[in-house]
Amino acid sequence: MSTTPTLLEVEEVGAAAGGPPTSTQRILTRLVHDKAAVLCLAFLLIVVLMAAFAPLITKLSGWGPYEFDSSAINSALGGVPNGSLGGISGEHWFGVEPQNGRDLFARIVYGARVSITIAISATVLTGILGVVLGMLAGFYRGWVDQLISRVMDFLMAFPALIFMIAILSSLPAGNRPVLLVVVISAFGWPYLARVIRGQTMTLANREFVEAARASGAKNLALVFREILPNLRSSIIVMSTLAVPGYIGTEAGLSFLGVGVTPPTASWGQMISSSVSWYSVDPMFFAIPGAFLFLTVLSLTVLGDKIRSVIDAGEAA
Amino acid sequence: MKRSTMLAGLLLSGSLALTACSGNAAGADKTSAGPGGQAATGGTVQVLANAGFSHLDPVRGFDGGVNNFYRLIYRTLTTQGAAPGADGTKIVPDLATDTGKPSDGGKTWTFTLKDGVAFETGAPITSADVKFAVSRAWDPEIGIGSPYAKQIIAAPASYQGPYKSGEMPTIETPDAKTVVFHLKKPYADFGSVVAQNTFVPVPKGTGAGTELDSKPIASGPYKVSAYKPGASLKLVRNDKWDAKTDSIRAAKPDGFQWTFGLDPATIDERMIAGQGTDANAIAGTIQAASVARIQTPQLKQRTLSGLGGCTTYMGLNSTKKPLNDVRVRQAINFAVNKQTVRDAVGGSTLADLATSIQPPTIVGRADYDPYPSPDGKGDVEAARKLLTEAGQAGGFTMTLDTRAQPKMQAMAVAIQQALQPLKIAVKINIIDTSTYYEVIGTPSQQHDAAITGWCPDWPSGATFLPPLFDGRNITAKGNSNLSQLNDPGVNKTIDEIAALKDVTAANAAYGELDKQIMKLAPMVPLLYEKVLMVVGSNIAGAYLHDGFSGGIDLVSVGLTDAGK
Repeated sequence: MSTTPTLLEVEEVGAAAGGPPTSTQRILTRLVHDKAAVLCLAFLLIVVLMAAFAPLITKLSGWGPYEFDSSAINSALGGVPNGSLGGISGEHWFGVEPQNGRDLFARIVYGARVSITIAISATVLTGILGVVLGMLAGFYRGWVDQLISRVMDFLMAFPALIFMIAILSSLPAGNRPVLLVVVISAFGWPYLARVIRGQTMTLANREFVEAARASGAKNLALVFREILPNLRSSIIVMSTLAVPGYIGTEAGLSFLGVGVTPPTASWGQMISSSVSWYSVDPMFFAIPGAFLFLTVLSLTVLGDKIRSVIDAGEAA
Repeated sequence: MKRSTMLAGLLLSGSLALTACSGNAAGADKTSAGPGGQAATGGTVQVLANAGFSHLDPVRGFDGGVNNFYRLIYRTLTTQGAAPGADGTKIVPDLATDTGKPSDGGKTWTFTLKDGVAFETGAPITSADVKFAVSRAWDPEIGIGSPYAKQIIAAPASYQGPYKSGEMPTIETPDAKTVVFHLKKPYADFGSVVAQNTFVPVPKGTGAGTELDSKPIASGPYKVSAYKPGASLKLVRNDKWDAKTDSIRAAKPDGFQWTFGLDPATIDERMIAGQGTDANAIAGTIQAASVARIQTPQLKQRTLSGLGGCTTYMGLNSTKKPLNDVRVRQAINFAVNKQTVRDAVGGSTLADLATSIQPPTIVGRADYDPYPSPDGKGDVEAARKLLTEAGQAGGFTMTLDTRAQPKMQAMAVAIQQALQPLKIAVKINIIDTSTYYEVIGTPSQQHDAAITGWCPDWPSGATFLPPLFDGRNITAKGNSNLSQLNDPGVNKTIDEIAALKDVTAANAAYGELDKQIMKLAPMVPLLYEKVLMVVGSNIAGAYLHDGFSGGIDLVSVGLTDAGK
């Protein structure tokens, strides 16, 4: 890439004086010039705001996520929502759930809370586990590497979904969201740790690390001052791409009935209960399905964009 | 002890409908096609089912699904009628010539077998076979079905069934046609007891272990020709069965073909479409989501609907604080919104609101509502008043056990929602389906409340109220008295009714006992669930039988056109 015009490089050089080459600012600048990325960011912002301000929003819309509305459903027809499109009306913006008349809008909003909280927590936890264990393995090599790598192999070879279902259904109810985060993270960290381990191995042999070591830096300082900052871009990309995966996993586990327990709203659970209603009330399936789809798509596209921006930056 | 099989998720093989009769009382349409029409002789009735049969051995199997099926292949000393409505719950003679002759003040019962009754092997059914079959109920491994024989008939304490302990000394067989039972104490309704599966004859000396589960020995109009557990079961005619000895079983079709393991949604689709051999099919209750789809006139004509004969209720554990205060339990009875609970199971077509403990199909049941509220939507004010009196105006937390099944969870959520205005925080404890009854039946493990159901073993209060509320029946395991109610007044009334010689008077007294118990509010009656079935377009002679949890009476169902 050394033949590319120099404008960019000049900028890079200028910026390099103030901070590392892949500065947050540069990534952001590039992203806001990308239409797809902006759309994704906007949608994600909406979802995050929905999640953060759920109680306020449902106050505005008038219906809480657990409130039954018997007048919105037809008891004689098995509980199908009154009105077309699953009961969409001024009162219920997204219609209502069959059989109990709970407001779908409120449940989507609260469901976003569950999805986002679980996915972010799981990402943070896997991030910490993956980075720490990956760096340990990559930096110390030898038996530490052997031990950690074998555990990773073991976890990655495991039929994770089946095991998650087994664990979650045998554990007592307890605090489901926390359990979900722990179980998802337990099976998720090796994917990040593998990459980190590989990169740590290369970085540990680079001149600047050896220079630091020669000038008397301790291992701890080497790892945190020299190696970790250089792993930043990998961690950002891997984490952004992990979030949609965890949202999907949470929805999948809730769909299978081992996720959060009722009456807590969750997108996966809504989709699960909508299955038998697909022919009578398709909106009950379409609405949570669309939110889940768009959220996962946005995160994936965004993660992809970030990766290409960072890759371009590194190449330059 | 029979738990609601509808709640257990078993799809009963059928229920039927009073529609044929109720709509056209004039009888003008009686000859027309449709589920209520006249069945022709011949053909094969298809049965689509989700869950397989628990057992084919009559001493082991005991739920609404197999009880109905057993009548096709087995006969008992007496049995229930084969007709819609109250006629279906009347006890009539089957293998016996009458419903039993009591002597010794009701402590000894004598039955005489009809002439010409035989097993599928051709061997005549003798009193020794009946005695042998009944004694199998005492075998600890085999006798896991109907508990009534063991509870009522006298037996040495150490008796362990014919395979381990030999002949049973307390059942006499003076000759090949006569059986004499000696009871522990007088039992006026023993004629109903001998209609239980335990009284299906088994050739003397056979049936050890699980032998009968794979190869039953038929005494009824059909025999099993092929059985793959969990997949399929085929019945063909038993040519040793003589229709002249049997006034109950019409047995019109030449055979039955069960298909098990089908997804409930698949069954609904197939029944609604009714293509090919599905025109000759019957199935269980449809799902709530399908109700809106069967509203066309063509499908309505193929729909049967009626009460399941069970009560779905929430048991309140009277040993836990603050539920040990009767006012708190009464307040909960006032507060629960039964409308939303009903919507949770599928709305008004799939359930009626329950007010008393006994469902309407029980003989002698009193129709009353001890904790009324407008439209069953709950009376929060009355509840609040009672809670204030009880010093619980500030609310409390209680744990509600429920099964890991969408319908049951939806009911739990509806109850949670209804109690919220009283600041009663309901924690829903979801228990795996396979261990649910074990957990709630173990007093040391059960929580404050649990949602479950109860079906009578025969439509009398005797199989409903004493098992659920006799305080002396509380056991450390397998307990059915979920409220752990041990009220001297209730126990006394139960003993008094048991001593009554007249069955009609006893049934009426159970209706009064229902009221006496509900004053103590040990449970919240939630729903009387209904069956709602779509049958194939070629099905005839189908009606819902009150005695089999509202299943289609299999001994009467057949095809309009046997050649199809």
